[in-house]
Amino acid sequence: MKSPLDASIRLLIRDWRGGELGVLFSALLLAVSVVVAISGFVNRLQYNLERESASFLAADLVVSSSNPIPASWMDEVSAYGLAQGETITFSSMVISADDEMFLASVKAVGGAYPLRGALSVDTGLSQVSTDNPEPGTVFLAPRLVQQLSASIGDEVYVGDATLTVAGTLLSEPDSTTGFFGYGPRLVMNAANLDETGVLQPGSRVTYRLLVAGESDDLTGFKEWVEPQLVQGQRLSSVDESQPGIGATLERARGFLLLAGSLGVMLAAAAILVAARQFGERHTDQVAVMKSLGATRATIRQLYAFSLAWLGLISMGLGSGIGWLAQSAMFNALAGQLPSEITRIGITPYITGAITAFVCIGFFAWPPLARLGGVSPLRVIRREETIADATRSSDLVLGTASLGLLMLWYSSDWKLTGALIGSIAITVGLGFFVAQTLLKGSRQVGSSAGSVWRLALAGMHRRGTSSAFQVVIFGIAIMLLLVLTAVRTSLLDQWRLQIPEGTPNHFILNVAPSDESSLLTFFAERDIEVGELYPAARGRVMAVNGQPLPDWDRFEEGARQREANFTSTDTAPEGNKIVSGAWWEVGTEQSLVSLEDGFAEDIGAKVGDLLTLRIAADEFSVEVASIREVNWESMQPNFFVIFPDKLLERFPNTLFTSFYLEPDEKYRVGELLDVMPTLTIIELDVAIQEIKTIIDQVSQAIELVLLIILVAGALVLIAGVSSSVDERLHESAILRALGAGRGTLLGAIAIEFATMGSLAGILAILGSETAGWVLQTQMLDLEYQIQWVLWPMGIALGAVIIGSLGTYACRRVVSVPPLQVLREL
Amino acid sequence: MIKTSQLIKRVSTAESELEILRGIDLEIKRGETAAIVGASGSGKSTLLGLLAGLDAPSSGEIMLDGTNIVNLDEDERATLRSEKVGFVFQNFQLLPALTALENVMLPLELAGIGDAREKSEEFLSRVGLEERFHHYPRTLSGGEQQRVAIARAFASQPLILFADEPTGNLDTTTGATVVELLFGLNKEEGTTLVLVTHDNTLAARCQRRFTMTAGHLEEAS
Repeated sequence: MKSPLDASIRLLIRDWRGGELGVLFSALLLAVSVVVAISGFVNRLQYNLERESASFLAADLVVSSSNPIPASWMDEVSAYGLAQGETITFSSMVISADDEMFLASVKAVGGAYPLRGALSVDTGLSQVSTDNPEPGTVFLAPRLVQQLSASIGDEVYVGDATLTVAGTLLSEPDSTTGFFGYGPRLVMNAANLDETGVLQPGSRVTYRLLVAGESDDLTGFKEWVEPQLVQGQRLSSVDESQPGIGATLERARGFLLLAGSLGVMLAAAAILVAARQFGERHTDQVAVMKSLGATRATIRQLYAFSLAWLGLISMGLGSGIGWLAQSAMFNALAGQLPSEITRIGITPYITGAITAFVCIGFFAWPPLARLGGVSPLRVIRREETIADATRSSDLVLGTASLGLLMLWYSSDWKLTGALIGSIAITVGLGFFVAQTLLKGSRQVGSSAGSVWRLALAGMHRRGTSSAFQVVIFGIAIMLLLVLTAVRTSLLDQWRLQIPEGTPNHFILNVAPSDESSLLTFFAERDIEVGELYPAARGRVMAVNGQPLPDWDRFEEGARQREANFTSTDTAPEGNKIVSGAWWEVGTEQSLVSLEDGFAEDIGAKVGDLLTLRIAADEFSVEVASIREVNWESMQPNFFVIFPDKLLERFPNTLFTSFYLEPDEKYRVGELLDVMPTLTIIELDVAIQEIKTIIDQVSQAIELVLLIILVAGALVLIAGVSSSVDERLHESAILRALGAGRGTLLGAIAIEFATMGSLAGILAILGSETAGWVLQTQMLDLEYQIQWVLWPMGIALGAVIIGSLGTYACRRVVSVPPLQVLREL
Repeated sequence: MIKTSQLIKRVSTAESELEILRGIDLEIKRGETAAIVGASGSGKSTLLGLLAGLDAPSSGEIMLDGTNIVNLDEDERATLRSEKVGFVFQNFQLLPALTALENVMLPLELAGIGDAREKSEEFLSRVGLEERFHHYPRTLSGGEQQRVAIARAFASQPLILFADEPTGNLDTTTGATVVELLFGLNKEEGTTLVLVTHDNTLAARCQRRFTMTAGHLEEAS
């Protein structure tokens, strides 16, 4: 042949015109598009989610300190080319012009604060403002406006400074940090801080240096500053600042990666099916070409070049489609996500290209490579054996290459292992079970009615090919089941994390004598209030008589710990006892239950004797149990819990929590009017923000799931349509012999439904295995065998594959038999 | 041109080994036309496959234009086919994805012949299909398809043309037209023609006639 390159283009064009390439090309295009779309979408989403969660800190990195941040550190931030800002928070009495007074949590802001997220302020104008307060002005939280009866333009006093109210603070990005800044917020400009004169040596002040920028620069600064931190100074980044959000995002990322990997696998399965079909359709053509003098090498070269062209075209076109798809997905979420424009970068395209390469090299090529071995004798003796289009070595090689691809793609060997393992189980078991059952079905079939006999005989005759289809269907259904199951438990878990009515306000410092009037207040307003817990601030001094080092000495290892102590005789909900046992109700023993991390910090275990101090009293208790606490639950949680009788001996106050609807926010003001000594911690904004993030991520996950479902459906369609060819001839003969369309369609439906239910069984076996590994090892979720999936999987497999197969094969019974027989 | 000696072909089945050809000695000279007739299953097609180098014998020799093709591997036989051999098959064996013209061009391209298109157009015209260059096989009648196959066989100007039941799938009238074409072109091109057929009229047109019976070949006088 004069030029295989030239000839391959012509082969490609002719095949395209002849409709031979449709399935293979669509499958390749699907692979590249899905990978580019999902990987691009995940990249952008991840970037945006990181931004979003960075807004909880108002920065990417925060150094907090009880002393002013050294100026040299700020210079270093600039030297790294990072943006910076600062906040100084403290409690101070704020006085209005009418001499109304209220204790506020003051935050003085300077530099480019906030570096992530935005302030939102009602300045009385139509547009909500997002600028920092000008020097000489302040923003007040709504409750402070209410308490001080202040309005925009009024003057308020913070220490010696006179400041003008410039707006009502609607939200601030870092509202959840500085948990102990009780009282409603006042935001002022840091330039006025000296004027106030409230910051004296010994004042409880938190200074924060906010830093944001490129991740390399951040790492550089982080590494520079870490060794310089002393007692009272702390570095926080996005992941650590909000354990709830951190875990949520981590799971979401895990899920999206999983979804992306499944996309690759489904596409590969589609390509395998399509290439197999392509190879079978080309067997006769190759035999003719060989009889006309084409050598094995010519044939291989021809198909290799054709595939290479096909790969290049699908890479180009797939990248374009993928880009469009991720744009569309992203725009669908535009209302929920920050509107910043983020590019998807080059990585998704590289991922797409490598995917195409692996798919072509390991899935499309092997069946075509064997075309070179087709015997030219086939032109005169049709029964001459066809090169077996799929061998188990192909599957092994393909699965292994996919494993490597996924490993590279997700950098997660557990995920890869779980999926590849379960696919191996499905494939191995699949061929065994499918062939055994198909053999059995022949025996059943021979004693059954004609439609069934026809169906089962058909399945049996196509033995290996039927088994292959069952395995492909099984893998596709399995991957979809895994993804759906993981998504469901992920969303459930998130919903449980912050259920409707989660307390969003905490009340501290309730004097025991005020308990009844507090309960009356809530009862009158029909607001549900949580249980009242006693609370006392205390410190652990020694373990087993061994004094712990002073708590404010900065050193490694166990040291004194201060904490809020509480008491209850019933183990708190959501806590898990990991060692020891809970005490009996009403016990008078001196016992204590510790949170596991706390116990580790002070080096205590069950049976140890702790020396504690509350106010001036020192006493000893025995560690009765150690608990694991779910800190993501947004419920009151405690490090140290005593039996009720024990804490009664010490002076204590009560605390509780309650839930307020947003439109009932004014009740907080009412409550403080009645009981001004209470301290109320408002978490409503923070909880709302976490909910928003969870909602966004959930929607993203639903969208990605939808794409994967479409990919899965395409695999099923490819699998089903690949069997149309072989049925055409058979059906033509049967119809020529007088079989009715109803009988034939019935037989086809039964055949596919039987294969579908076999695939369903395989899919469930595989998905339970994969689900167990993924949920327990990767997403850190509880695992439960989904019994309900078993009958559902079998039934769904039968219905879906049955109807898809019948639909795809409808042509088989509608093409006039003569036409089919003539073509052969 | 073609010479075999003691050609034996055995195939293994599940139960036993079957001897399909039992020592065939045959010689056909350049430019001769030869027909092999015989009952179904007598081994005619197997012999044709061996002579054309589509398959390898169990033992014996096959000389094709001076080359013992038994000593060649499959690829070498393919190259030899592309240079010296043409085929016409019972079921035409046109590639459905290619037009009539492209089907004729295929062996020329495989042999690396430069003016493939011109040659193909010429031969298609010679079989009377100048109006059908760009038709796909499925839009052609059986007779037209076989004429495309004949054009394809002659276009590469082979030394030897093998035809396997060339009229087997055609009605009598169409078959006759095709036979006229086949022999006409054969005469013009001076090709050696070996055909396998059931059709005695067709066999009668050949200079030499062989009968295959249970693996043995005999020449009719």
